Amino acid sequence: MMTRLLPMLWHTLGSISLTVALCLLLTADLVWGYFCLNRRTSLFTPLNDMGLIAWMQTYGINNLFFSAWFFLLLALLALLAVNTFACTTSRVIQLLRAKRASGLQRLVFKLAPHVMHYGLIVILAGYLCSYLFTQVLTSSTLVPGSHLSLPGARGQVSLLSFDSEYYLGQRLAFWKNEVITPKARLLLSDGASQREAILSCNQPVRFQGYSFHLIDFAPKSLGGMKMKTRIDLHIRKDPGVGLYLAGMALFTLGLFFYVYEWIVYREAHK
Amino acid sequence: MQSNTTMYRLVGGLLTLITLITLYGCNSDSKSGTEKTTGEERPAFLQIGEFAINRISPARTEVRDGAGRTLVLIPRESPMPTDCAPNQVVRVPVQRVVAYGDFDIATLRALGVQETLVGVTRSKEHWYVPEIKRGMEAGRIVYLGDASSIDFERLKQQQPELVLTWDPSVIPLLDDLHIAAVVTTTPQAMCLTTRMRFVQFLAPFFHKEQEADAFFARIDASLRDIRARTAGVALQPKVMWGDVYEKRVMVEPGNAWVGELVGLAQSDYQFEDVFGTSCIEITVERFLYSGQDADIFFTYRTGSMGATSKAALAKLNPLIKDIGPLTRGRVYAPLPHYSQSGDKLDEILTEISAILHPEVYPDYHLHYFVELPDTDPIAAKEASHDPI
Repeated sequence: MMTRLLPMLWHTLGSISLTVALCLLLTADLVWGYFCLNRRTSLFTPLNDMGLIAWMQTYGINNLFFSAWFFLLLALLALLAVNTFACTTSRVIQLLRAKRASGLQRLVFKLAPHVMHYGLIVILAGYLCSYLFTQVLTSSTLVPGSHLSLPGARGQVSLLSFDSEYYLGQRLAFWKNEVITPKARLLLSDGASQREAILSCNQPVRFQGYSFHLIDFAPKSLGGMKMKTRIDLHIRKDPGVGLYLAGMALFTLGLFFYVYEWIVYREAHK
Repeated sequence: MQSNTTMYRLVGGLLTLITLITLYGCNSDSKSGTEKTTGEERPAFLQIGEFAINRISPARTEVRDGAGRTLVLIPRESPMPTDCAPNQVVRVPVQRVVAYGDFDIATLRALGVQETLVGVTRSKEHWYVPEIKRGMEAGRIVYLGDASSIDFERLKQQQPELVLTWDPSVIPLLDDLHIAAVVTTTPQAMCLTTRMRFVQFLAPFFHKEQEADAFFARIDASLRDIRARTAGVALQPKVMWGDVYEKRVMVEPGNAWVGELVGLAQSDYQFEDVFGTSCIEITVERFLYSGQDADIFFTYRTGSMGATSKAALAKLNPLIKDIGPLTRGRVYAPLPHYSQSGDKLDEILTEISAILHPEVYPDYHLHYFVELPDTDPIAAKEASHDPI
């Protein structure tokens, strides 16, 4: 009974029909998610810092009407990962069995799309790892001259200055005198040495296993209400980063062989 | 064929799951809306817009403030927890508070803990609340300087246990002074529910949950009354709330409590599609476009800031002289004590509704706003004496 059930389950989980169905369900779920996310950022923002399990136990479970799509998204993505793994592994086994017939070089090219699929699974696992295990120090605020210490490390971070770039052009009147590139100059000290680093939006700073992310800042424009200079940080220790970087490397490697086969190898063997 | 059947069953199962979750979600949502929040039935987790309260145990409550910072509330006699930074810990009930915002202070009054207030950022002549005036005269409440230039020496002398602030830039200094701080404003404007429930966010700091629930129930009752009164009105006025300053145009976005209230009171809010922070900047073109067919305009300016008449506003901002409310509609300015009257939120909501629909509030007298005349009385008087 078991010997028949397992291959059948494996075959079903690796079915391309299941892939198509999952993709359609994912699309429908994300459309649903769009309407649930719209103007409800306060429900999902804490997910960035409190971790998936804590978020599910609090915000998620108490707002099921607006968060159910997200739970379903997790389930669908998990199924998609399993489906991709089963489908890819089945094909890889077939290719490895036929290795003698095709030769090693041909095998490598044939494996390329499957390497990309494995890369995708590793990336998804990395994100799951991030949301499960990341340690986040929320909204640490720094003003020029102030510093903060990192838990479990000897490191200390100080804000030296906040020198932003302002929009001074004429074409976008609405942006005139607004900050377009915030730049915080940080001093990172580990007791023995120190270095400076520039922190900006989408430009985190890494130090002693932590990454520093700019969440908010002031002032935001040259005019208007005078706000005191400050930056708000999220300080993260994210074990998932390595995984999704590895996944991206794997994906890139597969893509490289895939493109190489299409552009160079096939042309040469026409 | 068999695997296809299995797959169809799988997809069917998933769709059933979606339906069940949705139905449960609807059910759960409606339940949380009517949940009793008194005594033992108080929910373990309560989200109030961007604020949240998570009751971990009787000896530990975690709150998330407007800046997304987590604070741990513990009883005064409890030992210091070891799993969080000391600056995250607040011993409750708090006995000495410094507050920046008018609404924070109004909320303390709503909770009945105004005697805990020991410092403010507005001088005595700018206060309209008798208890605060008296507290300042007695020296119990101290003016700490303008919010942008706080006298930290004086603040330290007042020995506050908690600072309620809208300015996160003071947090590093307060950390150095070992004073806990709560950021009471949020990146997005407070929606109507958040405005009404904010009192429940501050309640655990003072062990005043029942008072907070009673306050919320009062506001909720006034909202129900507004909904009932305005349900059948024929005319839906178009409303705008904001002002044009020298270089900037600021309005209340559609997600702000005033925008939601206007919609709830069977009126059209002209900035419904604007989303973001309270007092958000928009273009002057957008303001003028929305003003073309608006009927009612609530200005941020008080009389002392120049909002004494429609003519005075038009003189201050010639750009807006042709918008609907100034030419054929109505314009309202807040009275000076309006911003300090958050503890009378039910009356304020009712007053706004009465302004929008005077036909269902006969003989209503305004207490928090004033309708601007076409011209200033003095200017009109002078004009009447001018020889033609």
